[in-house]
Amino acid sequence: MSMLSRKQPPLHPFDAQIDIPLRSMTLGNGAKLFMIEAGTEDVLRLECVFRAGIIKEERPLLSSSVNMMLTEGSIRFSAEELNEMLDYYGIFINLQAERDSAGLTAFFLSRYFEKALELFSEILFRPVFPVKEFDKLMKKRLNWYRINREKVQNLAGNRFFESVFGPDHPYGRQPLEPDFDNLNPEMLRVFHARYYRPDEMAIIISGRIPESAVYLLEKHLGCQSSEKNHITETEAGIKGSLSKIDHIRKKGAVQTAVRIGTATINKRHADYPGLKFLNVLLGGYFGSRLMKNLREEKGYTYGIHSMVSSFDKSGLWMISTEAGRENSSKAVAEIKKEINILMKELVPAGEMAVVNNYMAGELVRSFDGPIAIAESFRSAWEFGLDLSYFSRMMHTIRTISPEEVLRLANTYFTTEDLYEITAG
Amino acid sequence: MIDFRTYKLENGLRLIVHEDRSTPLIAMNLLYDAGSRDEDPSKTGMAHLLEHLMFCGTENIPEYDLPLQLAGGENNAFTNNDITNYYITLPAANVETAFWLESDRMQAPGFSDSKLEVQKSVVIEEFRQRYLNQPYGDAMLLLRPLAYKSHPYRWPTIGVEPEHILGITLEDVRHFFDRHYNPGKAILTLTGNITPDRAYELSQKWFGPIQAGKDHVRKLPAEPEQTGERRLNIERNVPADALYKAWHMGPRSGSDFHTMDVITDLLAGGESGRLYNRVVRDLNLFSEINAYITSDIDPGLVVVTGKIMKGVDIDKAEQAVDQVIQELIDSGIPDNELEKVKNRYESSSVLSNTSILNKAMNLSVFELLGSVSSINTEVEAYRAVSKLMISEAANMYLKPANCSTLWYLASKNQGK
Repeated sequence: MSMLSRKQPPLHPFDAQIDIPLRSMTLGNGAKLFMIEAGTEDVLRLECVFRAGIIKEERPLLSSSVNMMLTEGSIRFSAEELNEMLDYYGIFINLQAERDSAGLTAFFLSRYFEKALELFSEILFRPVFPVKEFDKLMKKRLNWYRINREKVQNLAGNRFFESVFGPDHPYGRQPLEPDFDNLNPEMLRVFHARYYRPDEMAIIISGRIPESAVYLLEKHLGCQSSEKNHITETEAGIKGSLSKIDHIRKKGAVQTAVRIGTATINKRHADYPGLKFLNVLLGGYFGSRLMKNLREEKGYTYGIHSMVSSFDKSGLWMISTEAGRENSSKAVAEIKKEINILMKELVPAGEMAVVNNYMAGELVRSFDGPIAIAESFRSAWEFGLDLSYFSRMMHTIRTISPEEVLRLANTYFTTEDLYEITAG
Repeated sequence: MIDFRTYKLENGLRLIVHEDRSTPLIAMNLLYDAGSRDEDPSKTGMAHLLEHLMFCGTENIPEYDLPLQLAGGENNAFTNNDITNYYITLPAANVETAFWLESDRMQAPGFSDSKLEVQKSVVIEEFRQRYLNQPYGDAMLLLRPLAYKSHPYRWPTIGVEPEHILGITLEDVRHFFDRHYNPGKAILTLTGNITPDRAYELSQKWFGPIQAGKDHVRKLPAEPEQTGERRLNIERNVPADALYKAWHMGPRSGSDFHTMDVITDLLAGGESGRLYNRVVRDLNLFSEINAYITSDIDPGLVVVTGKIMKGVDIDKAEQAVDQVIQELIDSGIPDNELEKVKNRYESSSVLSNTSILNKAMNLSVFELLGSVSSINTEVEAYRAVSKLMISEAANMYLKPANCSTLWYLASKNQGK
């Protein structure tokens, strides 16, 4: 028989090293360059970011359509040729149009660095938005839109954003079927010229960076220029809708999607790291209160998550789950019950320690390897924050008290004014 | 090139270690040679339900996740037709916590009726969320039994229907666990900031005392050769028609596995694949098209799926797909195009090795397939695929008599 004691965990303290081997500089045209040397394989992650997100669009679908059309034909190459070359060199690209920014992220073998830059300069700065490709894209997008509308998660999620940020703000505005007919290539060209500006681009490159990197980046991306344009932008204010509770009926649905939450502070606020802690405790990890209660004790759902995320003009707190129709109102009641407890009672020390260590481990993971480091860097940089953001986060995680958690819950959580959207 | 060391404990547990000092973390992967193909046909969903129960705590460790979270770790698991795979990443200082957790639930899982009842409802909610309450969510549930008539791949990992999951008893769970969850059926892989010696020492300490299980020889019914085209049309409340086609192919260790993977990449890899160029870009018949192999250990499937544009006749759309495939069989492939697909494979293979967790999973799977060192020769295996191999394999497998086709049709009287 073994003498091994299996009752006690062999636990050791650990810490996150947040030191990024970061070099930053400015290219000839004013573009910002950030280089992170990391990793063991000869691969690179390269991201080009522009302030060309949904926030800039005057009508729905514009930002994302411009972004998706970047690989659909340039001055030198047709759509087929561009895609053929990307695939030939094993360059995997993700085009992304988010709420505040847009651009592309690419992954490729270091030996194809120059080839990749040649292609990116075409894709980013010389797209031609051919009518034929544009028409096809809009038809495809309408097809996808109709399919997505059949998912209760999307129905609830879209209405949630519309309610929290208001139907007139780009964060909240949702496309309707006619919007797929309301764009044309000229609008895309104008948007592109305004917002895909080489001088306002940020390049984040990470991995095993070749010695010639700066020279090649100057040669292919640093020499691109654009005319100065002075855009006067009218900014829509965020105005959430007055009715907070809404249900979207979906015939034949066997589950109801639930989205509960409200607008909140973002990353720039001093309380944000603490709010992150509070949110993880509520529903941000497998051992969270919501997961334990609604999944592991009651079996109402396959999963429930609470998240706090940051946009340029606002933060967002959102709890999401899908529950069987018969259990959805019970699920909502339990969610509110758990929020209430956090607003009334101090969190026990044991649970504080679990969240503390879990989040510290997450922070270690978010600095492991060239891809994770680049993503972490970007997530702070785009809010004008430097790496001290992560040190502050680590400090908060390690030192926050139950009293501070209670204060944060009473400042940022509520059960009265929450948006509560269900679909099913 | 991935360096690794392999060991075998007396109780049969296989250990693979890959040291990578560039990371502060360690990944532990524990693969059990047990999947949904090992289930009783009247109790499908068993392997996956057991995976859920493995997280519900034991006598020694009432809450599985709690100590791992205290150690700064994260974990998850997945089940497929062939394997059940558990994995953890955590700071190197706490690697022993991972050994403690994984060895404990291997030697004495704490099953109970109440845990089983809760996890049955969780899994049924998962069934609804992922398969029943999604447009096209049940397509593979329909395609599998069309393509397979005997082999257990005819049912999906989630199970045939929620009723099967409801019918599983605690005794069934224990029986499946005893048969499949023992050291001889498991492969333990450590990657990251740990030396092979230390990993071996900790494996001996925590897994060494666990008793070797009884030998169980897997006997699965072979799938008879398909001799005629199979078709199924169904109507659902979806906005657009969809096409699903599946052809039988050889096993994972077979000589034409890489060739078939190359073929699906020629057809639909990236946005320059032949199918994408023809039926999406040129003819505008589909809004999306995809082709892949299922990569199962026993003879698997080549699958083509596509969502059809509104107003396009599905028959016409299918003919266009068939024509692209026929052209691949009839006429040769330009050098450039073959080179492209191989380059893409090399790129994705190197990229996947930037993560210690991916490396741990890949090492485990190659060991299960019979040779862990294959992880370093896979790129060559793809490089070796020739035009002749492609035309022979395409000719052999991609014929109508070997194909099952599902028309997933938007119902005419679609209500709002």
